[in-house]
Amino acid sequence: MPSNAGFMIAAYVIVAIVVLGYALSLALRIRRETKR
Amino acid sequence: MTQRDRAAGIARWGGVVTGLGLLGLAWVYVRALVYTPVEATQGAAQKIFYVHVPAAWAALLAVSVTGILSIFYLWLKDRRIDLAAAASAEVGVAFGLVMLTTGPIWGKPIWGTWWTWDARLTSTLFLFLLFVGYLVLRGVLTDPGIRARFSSVIGILGLILVPFIHLTVYLFRTLHPAPIVLKPSAPSLPNAMLVTLLTSVAAFSVLYLGFLMQRYALALLRELREEALASAQ
Repeated sequence: MPSNAGFMIAAYVIVAIVVLGYALSLALRIRRETKR
Repeated sequence: MTQRDRAAGIARWGGVVTGLGLLGLAWVYVRALVYTPVEATQGAAQKIFYVHVPAAWAALLAVSVTGILSIFYLWLKDRRIDLAAAASAEVGVAFGLVMLTTGPIWGKPIWGTWWTWDARLTSTLFLFLLFVGYLVLRGVLTDPGIRARFSSVIGILGLILVPFIHLTVYLFRTLHPAPIVLKPSAPSLPNAMLVTLLTSVAAFSVLYLGFLMQRYALALLRELREEALASAQ
């Protein structure tokens, strides 16, 4: 079995960064807009 | 209840749905990394499939929704439809980014290359860039009517590309694997892997819905503030 777990970990980390980053970005933009 | 209260309500419920989607994604991570067996020939890198395919599904769903709403906008000329189409486009770009980064990370250990200019990959990149252009165009055009009309045309062009992208693996000789679930015959995947994949598709679909609601509410809140400013001047 090939040992390529590093690629898997990199992919899962990137997915978490993009998804959580976008969720945070939306939450902050909405918060700023509702406070105005 | 004012329009602003309604928009804030959509944002709140969108946040709840997004939260559920994030919990679902966390469960997908646990299920995929701990409870799903490692594939014998591809090794651990095969598990990238459990986030790459659902991200592609969510991206193509978002693009399709943008295209369908764009058709309705050109027909009904309702500004809320245009705002919802644009919201879906932005969410589609976010999921498209996931799809286009996880794909090459899987390709390197399995194909021996990060990227190849075959029909599936090239048409998907083209669709992604088309929607980045859609967002840039909306940022540049200030007249709401022209902005909505021009971006609707791009949205519909994107919708036309979606079935073409799905069929590229049949129409052309390509390195990209053919569908293993969305095909006429039964899914060719062991049960444990199929359940993980479908759980991830569900989590990404819920995330898409939550993001869409939040982004649409944000667009509504912005527009209401701009309208209030304009009427005050």
